Amino acid sequence: MAFTPKTAPYSGKINAVTLGTGDKAVVIGGQNVMPFYTFDAPIENAPKIGVEISDLAAQWDVPALKEFYAGCTTMADYAKKAETMPGVDFLCLHFESADPNGANRSVADCVADAKAVAEAVSMPIVILGCKNLEKDGELFSKIAEALQGKNILVMSAKNEDYKTVGASVVLAYGQKVGAETADDINLAKQLNIMLKGLSIAPESIVMNVGTAAVGYGFEYVASTLDRVRMAALAQSDADLQMPIVSPVSPDTWSVKESTASEEDEPAWGCREERGIEMEVSTAAANLIGGADAVIMRHPAAIATIKKFITELV
Amino acid sequence: MALKGLDIFKLSPKKNCKECGSPTCMAFCMKVAQGAVSIDKCPYFSDEAKATLNEQTAPPMKTITVGDHKLGGETVLYRHEKTLVNKNLFAVALSTAMTDAEVDAKLAEVAKVDYERIGERMYVEFLFLRNAGTDAAAYTKLVQKAAATGLCLVLECWDVECAKAALAVAGKNVILDGATPANWEAMNEAATAAGVTLGVWAENLSDLYDTVKNLEAKGNKNLVLDVTGKTAKETLANAVLVRRTALKDGDRSFGYPSIVNLAAIAQGDDRLQTAYATAFVEKYGSIIVMENMTYAQALPLYGLRQNIFTDPQKPMKVESKIYPLNGADENSPCALTVDFALTYFLVSGELERSNEPVNLIITDASGMSVLTAWAAGKFSSSTVKKTFQDLDIENKIKNRTLIIPGKVAVMKGEIQEKLPGWNVVVAPAEAVQLPKYMKDKEYEAAAKAAAAEAAAKAAAAPVEEVKELSFDELLATKVPAIEVVDMGVKYKGHNPESKTFVTIGERIHCISPAIRKAMDERDPAPILKRAAEQIAAGATYLDVNIGPAEKDGPERMMWAVKLLQENFNNVPLALDTANKKAIEAGIKVYNRTNGKPIVNSADAGSRISNIDLAAANDAICIALCSADGIAKDNDERMKHCHDMLERGLSLGMTSDDLWFDPLFLVVKGMQDKQMDVLNAIKMFADEGLKSTGGLSNNSNGAPKNVRPIMDSALVAMAMMQGLTSAIVNPCDLRLMETIKSCDIFKNHVLYSDSYLDL
Repeated sequence: MAFTPKTAPYSGKINAVTLGTGDKAVVIGGQNVMPFYTFDAPIENAPKIGVEISDLAAQWDVPALKEFYAGCTTMADYAKKAETMPGVDFLCLHFESADPNGANRSVADCVADAKAVAEAVSMPIVILGCKNLEKDGELFSKIAEALQGKNILVMSAKNEDYKTVGASVVLAYGQKVGAETADDINLAKQLNIMLKGLSIAPESIVMNVGTAAVGYGFEYVASTLDRVRMAALAQSDADLQMPIVSPVSPDTWSVKESTASEEDEPAWGCREERGIEMEVSTAAANLIGGADAVIMRHPAAIATIKKFITELV
Repeated sequence: MALKGLDIFKLSPKKNCKECGSPTCMAFCMKVAQGAVSIDKCPYFSDEAKATLNEQTAPPMKTITVGDHKLGGETVLYRHEKTLVNKNLFAVALSTAMTDAEVDAKLAEVAKVDYERIGERMYVEFLFLRNAGTDAAAYTKLVQKAAATGLCLVLECWDVECAKAALAVAGKNVILDGATPANWEAMNEAATAAGVTLGVWAENLSDLYDTVKNLEAKGNKNLVLDVTGKTAKETLANAVLVRRTALKDGDRSFGYPSIVNLAAIAQGDDRLQTAYATAFVEKYGSIIVMENMTYAQALPLYGLRQNIFTDPQKPMKVESKIYPLNGADENSPCALTVDFALTYFLVSGELERSNEPVNLIITDASGMSVLTAWAAGKFSSSTVKKTFQDLDIENKIKNRTLIIPGKVAVMKGEIQEKLPGWNVVVAPAEAVQLPKYMKDKEYEAAAKAAAAEAAAKAAAAPVEEVKELSFDELLATKVPAIEVVDMGVKYKGHNPESKTFVTIGERIHCISPAIRKAMDERDPAPILKRAAEQIAAGATYLDVNIGPAEKDGPERMMWAVKLLQENFNNVPLALDTANKKAIEAGIKVYNRTNGKPIVNSADAGSRISNIDLAAANDAICIALCSADGIAKDNDERMKHCHDMLERGLSLGMTSDDLWFDPLFLVVKGMQDKQMDVLNAIKMFADEGLKSTGGLSNNSNGAPKNVRPIMDSALVAMAMMQGLTSAIVNPCDLRLMETIKSCDIFKNHVLYSDSYLDL
């Protein structure tokens, strides 16, 4: 008796969202099966990788990463260099230093950086803010305005500020927006409904449904990803069919496994290798759960995840 | 999966001979399905039919034991559906193609990674031994060396003679990963003779399936399936399809644990193996074979595994102990928080960021967060004192500054009293504020102030010797006289024999700041106001929550009981506090005209003795069907129910006085489990048991205008299932009208046009 597995694609499908313009534009989402379930149906559009460039990148101190960006001083330098990194599909500009409780860099300076990058590169651009609601609101609006026509993605609109962010980023300046929630599937759905309620097209929305480094409460992220994907595919829930973009590196490079020095943890071995493996594992965990794109930092981790995706699709 | 009566009936002899005591075969089969009688009561059920039934009731996936490890036994594909039970295990690969020196070096590397993370030992559990040739002597030598480590072994060996030789020296904690479509008969004999688990591998799933069927026909179900394919893609497909076929399609021939060999499909690339291993931790690799397991790989992989295999219904806890951070020693200040793992990670992370030495003391709070634990009485001055005693902190630490969480600033005074000599200071409410708080040493000034305050107190009034007063003495000296005020509302009385739905009004609760203040100050007005509103709205019972009330529980409860009963025609009450003495005191002054007092509440875990309290005082007891955390399924709920029932009955209670609470879940977050709760109510009702529950938890976090709609729909469904009571907000008109309507449909109340006004 020969065994024939029961396989079938789902009736629901993840929206395909295009970022950027021209030859380098990328499409995120589009599949109708669980992540990498190629036996159910072919994956038409493989998950994508974005590379994180922070305005605090000068502080990155692990040797190989430093060496990769040797000689870079401005954000545009970093971005140009990052574009050459094998495996990269888009660039993610992380404006950490805008934080009023940190360096409190002015919005004008950040916008100037973003503009300089946009002029220097051709890959799609994603913007990560500083997590201060008020500052991000202004920053997102000004960058979206300055980069009109570039079809950038702004991460993120939250429950607290979706109206202003959605209205300026998408409705006024025609960019894409990320809907950010923290491990709460009900809120993730609600936020998409509210964004759509502003007359934003579903194809202009991606989701960040929560992030964590593996080992740090990742079970909440994993279960949220599983449930979001099941709802989108098995229940055809149109309010959860937005593709998922997971910022990985900001979490993985700030946990103890990646920051503890070799003097403090002699048994653990090379710090940079720990950081790379932490980033690899967290990115893989997001992808196997359903992320359609991951944002990463280290060239070695990106090369590994690129291979992972290529092999599994 | 439980069988339905009709499935059993299909296999029954259909004689209707009545010898089993049931009138028909159909009736008998229904009883068997419910577990009410054993199938052996029927003399005519064929052995074959019984075997088929056993097969069908067997779990969908076998649990295989190797050494101290369990593999498989999963019942769901995703952890949120219930829980995953047996974590993946990791193996490192060795081969006869390696030199002795290489083998020794690898064994030394494997031994290095062995550490503890949140109470779990993290190490490489298995060695995977690849037989690269047909030289039995070489393979035996490798196996012997590996066996000497004491780790469990997977012998990847397709050569029968080599396998036999290896098994002779391998010990018992072994999987012989050697059966293929070509050699399965001989390998089966070898594994069976040695008493070890047999691994099965084939080129494709169809051949694998047939080989398993062959082995099962020979009676061997001690199997694992090596699903490694030629590529990572094929391996993932195999692992998912095998697991899905077993769990979703119910085909038990694929219901075995799996082996995935990443050393074979990503040879020489540790990082890629980490990525694949990550995928297989979530997607169904029971044993994951790696070329290496360095710390850099172990830290993320074991951390992820620990996350994924936590029970979604049980919070992850860290050990209660002193965690010295940033090189803290006995002269460093102490900070205190609860054992919920996420709280620990957040707080320890922020404290580490401050770079200030501090001893973080973790107290046992059943894995709850700070505020939840406080409200449940699991984080109180007494539990803190107990932690200080258990951990011997007085002697281990010389510094006397204790920083407590900002969220429980109210506990400062009580902790200060319970820990004389310590200077208790309150941290900021949010963890992100900690680095600045610690760096600026804000706690030092506060500690000085606390010390000065304590000294002043000591000087002003030498500590009174605490003498335990009897309830009568307390009543005479500590309970203020009750003044009866006309609130314009009269409690209309309650017949305890009536079958009508019992509503327990939840509005007198210390989580409300107004009530907490009124209780502290013995101010009747706010309490009477809420009582009057609830009685006017038709509440049967009123719940009286006086908070953890560790200090003055008895006099507080006596006052509250007298206040409410004397003002409202002896309205029956549910006494709600973690302080048992307070409940006892409340019952002492309780008037039973309108019904027995209710003890709120007991559970099947640490609070089971509240059943004893209810039994000793002839009270009703709300019995939460949980022990630690929410029950994961109805089997567990019913087990708790029966444990508590047995205890109550053995103490002379009647079953009517135990009201079982299945614990209504929050739809925002756990909607997929609410039907389980409703089905549990049906199970209680089928056994003739009464039930109750905090119904409005259902709509927690939902918009205000939606909550009454959700709650009234749920109460209607629950009453249909047999719910006899609920803890509710009686001021929710829609809910109360729904309950009254359901009481009509259930024929508990005779209909009249004005039934809603009664």
